[in-house]
Amino acid sequence: MATAISTVPDLAWTKKISSPHELAEYRQALTASMDPDAPCIRVCCGTGCKAVGSLDVLEAMRTAVAAAGIDVKVMPEVKRTGCHGFCSRGPLLTVQPQGLFYQRIKPEDAAEIVQKTIVGGEVLPRFLYKPPGAKEALAKVGDIPFFAKQTKVVLKRVGRIDPFDIRDAIADGAYEGLAKVLAGMTPHQVIEEIKSSRLRGRGGAGFPTGIKWESCAAQPGRHYVICNGDEGDPGAFMDASVMEGDPHAVLEGMAIAAYAMGSDRGFLYVRMEYPLAVQTLAAAIRQAEDLGLLGRNIMGTDFSFRTSVSTGAGAFVCGESSALMSSLEGKVGRPRAKYIRSTEKGFRDSPSNLNNVETYANVPEIILRGGQWYTSYGTERSAGTKVFSLTGNVHNVGLVEVPMGTSLREIVFGIGGGIPNKKELKAVQTGGPSGGCIPIPKKFLDINVGFGKLAEIGSMMGSGGMIVMDENTCMVEVSRYFINFLVEESCGQCTPCREGLTRMRETLSRITEGEGREGDIEMLEEIGQFTNSFSLCGLGTSAANPVLSTIKYFREEYEAHIRDKKCPAGVCKPLYYYEIDPEKCTGCGVCRKRCPAAAIEGEKKKPHTIHQELCIKCMECYKNCKFDSIKIL
Amino acid sequence: MKIVMDGKEVAAERGQTIVEVARRNGVYIPTLCHVPALEPAAMCRVCTVELAEGRRSRLVTACNYPLRGDAEIHTDTPLLRQNRKVLIELLASRCPGSETLKELAERYGANLNRFPGEDKQCIMCGLCARVCERVGGNVLALCGRGVEIRVDTSFGRLSPTCIACTSCVQICPVNAIRFEDVDGERRVIVRGKEAARVPLRRCASCGTHFGPVIDLGPVLERAGERGVPAFNASICPACSRRNLARRLAERHFEQHAVEPRDAGEES
Repeated sequence: MATAISTVPDLAWTKKISSPHELAEYRQALTASMDPDAPCIRVCCGTGCKAVGSLDVLEAMRTAVAAAGIDVKVMPEVKRTGCHGFCSRGPLLTVQPQGLFYQRIKPEDAAEIVQKTIVGGEVLPRFLYKPPGAKEALAKVGDIPFFAKQTKVVLKRVGRIDPFDIRDAIADGAYEGLAKVLAGMTPHQVIEEIKSSRLRGRGGAGFPTGIKWESCAAQPGRHYVICNGDEGDPGAFMDASVMEGDPHAVLEGMAIAAYAMGSDRGFLYVRMEYPLAVQTLAAAIRQAEDLGLLGRNIMGTDFSFRTSVSTGAGAFVCGESSALMSSLEGKVGRPRAKYIRSTEKGFRDSPSNLNNVETYANVPEIILRGGQWYTSYGTERSAGTKVFSLTGNVHNVGLVEVPMGTSLREIVFGIGGGIPNKKELKAVQTGGPSGGCIPIPKKFLDINVGFGKLAEIGSMMGSGGMIVMDENTCMVEVSRYFINFLVEESCGQCTPCREGLTRMRETLSRITEGEGREGDIEMLEEIGQFTNSFSLCGLGTSAANPVLSTIKYFREEYEAHIRDKKCPAGVCKPLYYYEIDPEKCTGCGVCRKRCPAAAIEGEKKKPHTIHQELCIKCMECYKNCKFDSIKIL
Repeated sequence: MKIVMDGKEVAAERGQTIVEVARRNGVYIPTLCHVPALEPAAMCRVCTVELAEGRRSRLVTACNYPLRGDAEIHTDTPLLRQNRKVLIELLASRCPGSETLKELAERYGANLNRFPGEDKQCIMCGLCARVCERVGGNVLALCGRGVEIRVDTSFGRLSPTCIACTSCVQICPVNAIRFEDVDGERRVIVRGKEAARVPLRRCASCGTHFGPVIDLGPVLERAGERGVPAFNASICPACSRRNLARRLAERHFEQHAVEPRDAGEES
C-alpha cells in the first residue's frame, strides 16, 4: 500500500508577496496558467477514502496517465484532494472538465478510466453512483442529490484543491479575505463585519463570535489566537476534513482574527489522532510563510502573525477551552476552575481567543462577501451554514453542509438518502457524546436544525455530529455506550462527573444485562440531574444528556428492559430471542446455511425452527431473511 | 456592592469569594476540598450555591467565585440540599469510613450505604497534592484520568524528593495519609502504600531521632531565605531546650556569684 503522499512543493525560493495588490496579480498569473478545460482527475485523499485505499488509486492513476502516452493536447493532471464528503462511496474521484463522479474505484480500474474516459471521452456506467431505489445512474456531481442539496461555504474548496499546494488554494481565492482586511479595514471594522454576520461559534456552545472577539480585543496585554482542532466526538470528522482539505481557510480565518484583536501569535491545537491534518496544516503554514502570507510583515504590511501546530495527547476533555489551554501550556489537560473568561485570562494568563476550526473557516468568506450575505443563509438566531457529519443507519454516510434551519427530514432523507434495508427511522443523535437523542417518528422530523431548537428539545448542536438510528437500535444501549465513552474521557477531578458517571454506567450496564431493578430509572434521573447541575466544566454539565434525553423520550424502552426483561430492539443479548414465523417462512434455507452456530433446523420448503439453546444471537439470520419471517421477541 | 445571602444583606469586599463572605458573616456552606490557606480548586463541588447576578440565576461553587458586583446568593435551597445529598452518597461509596462525610450525611439526610462500592479511603479532595505543591517537595499529585484518578507519587515509586514535612498528613480530611518513624527513617504512607522514606536526624546529644534530614537543594534554598530559619540543628528540640535552660541557669549563677558586669558587655 502506498503510504507517503507525494512531495510538497517547495516555495522557499519564490518572491514574497509584498502587497495585497501583488497577491491579486499572483492569483491572476496562476489562473491564467491553468486551463479550465484541461482534463483533471481529482482523487479524494481524505481520511475516509484513504482508509479504503485511495492512495493506491492515486498512484495507479498517475502511472496510468504516464503510461497511456496520451495524445490529447494537455497532459491530464492527477490531483490529490481533501475529502469530497461522500465517504460511504469511497474511494472516489471526479473527472474534470466534464464533472464526472466515479465511486468505489480500485487501483486496477485506473488504466480503463484513463483510456476510455480521458482519452475516449466515454462515461463508464459501472463507476457511476446510483441512488437507492433509482433506475438511472447519475454521471455528474451536480446531479447527485447528496451534493446538489448542499450549500458549501466552509467546504467550498475542500475536495477541489490539493491541500499540499498553496498555489491551488490561491488560484481558488484563498487569502483574498486577508488581503482585503490588510488593504483597507480597521480591526474595529473587521469585528463589526463579523458581528453583523451573526456568526456563532461552531464548536458547540454557539457563542457569538463577533462579541467574543470584541471582548478579547478590549483586554490589555499580549493576545493569543487559538484554534480548537481537538475534535473528539465519536463519528464526527467535520473539522478533520476542513483541516485536511483546505488548511488555508483556517489559517486565513485565524490571521484575520489576529488582525482584529491585535495578536501576533496563534496556536492550532490539533488532536494527535489526526496525523493528516497535522501534516497539511504544517505544510500550509510553511508555504504561506514562504510566500509572505503569514509570519512577519504579512503582504508587506506592519501586521505580523506567527502560528504553529500543537498536538494533543489523546484526551477528549482537552477540547474544553480551559483544559485545552492548560494542555497547550504543557500542563495536565484538566479544566481549570476559574470564574473568568479566557478572553480575559486564558493561555498564559493572557487574553486568548479560542474558536473552533469551522468558525475560523467561515471568517474569510464573511469578510469577502460581507456579513449581510452570510445572514442570508440560516435562521434568525442561527445564521449561516453548518457542516454535519452524517453517520449511522443512513444510506449516504459522509459530510454534509447545509444552511442552519434545514429540517432533519431534508438532511436524513433528502441528502442522506434515507434508511437502508427498509428500516424505520427511530432517532437522531446530535451533539456528540454529550448530546441527546431526538425521537423521530413522534414529532421532530420536521424541526429546523439550529442552536435554539435543538436545545429546546433536550439535545444540542454540539460540533455537528449526527448519528442516525434505525429501529434496531436499543436506546438503553446507546446511552450506555455514550456514558461509557464519557467515563473513559472524564478528567476525574470533580466529584459529580467522576462518581456520577461511574454510577450511571454501572446501572446502565446492569439494565442492559437484564439485571435492572425497579427504581433504576428514577435513580438515573436523580444522578443525571445532579451531574448536569453540579459539574465543573462543559463536559460534566452535559454528560448526563444521553441518559436524560433517552429516558425522556424512550422511557417505555427502559421499562421494558427492567420490568419485562425484554429488549424491544433486539440488541441487549440476554433480553431477547429470535423466532421464525411459520406463516411467513418459505423454507428457503438461507438462514440455516448462514447460521454459524448451526442452531436452525428445517426441511426444504417447510418452515424452519431455531434452537434457542444453541443460538448465539449474531443476527445473521435476521439480516438475511428475505421474507421478514424472523422476529425479535 | 450589595450582597444578599439567604435573604440578609451581608458585609463583603470586592473580590472576596462567596465562602469568605459566608464565613465572615456566620453563614454555613459545606466544604470538603477547601482550606483558606490554599488556592481553591473547586473539585468537590459540595459548596455549590445558587447565585443571581442581574437577571440570570445559576449554580456556582462558593469557594472560588469572586464577588464583583451586586449579587443575591442562596446557600440552602431544596435543589442544593437534594444535590448535596446525592454528592455525599456518591462520595461515601469510595470512602465509607469518613467522619466528615458522616457529619454531612446527617445534615443532609444522605444514606451513606446507598451506593456500595470499593473503599478507596479517599474522597479525592486533592488537598494533599495542593499542599505538597506549596509546602512540601511537590511529591504527591493527582495521577491518572477519569475514574482511575488517584493521589500518587510520580510513576508510583518511592519519592526521592519528599522532605517528610507531613503537611499532607495534617491536611487529609479522611486520614488516608499517615507517617511512622521507624529505624531512623520517616515513612510517609498514602492509603497503605509507602510514598517516601526520608532518613531522620539523630540528636548528637541524646541519640534519639527527631526530624527528617533535608538535603534537597531547592528546599535548603528556601530555608536560607530571610525570615526562614535554616534547619541545620544537630540536636533535638528537647536537648536544645535543656541546653538553653542549663545555659540560662549557669549564667544566672555566674552573674550572682561574681561581680556584676556592664550592661553593654552583657549581650
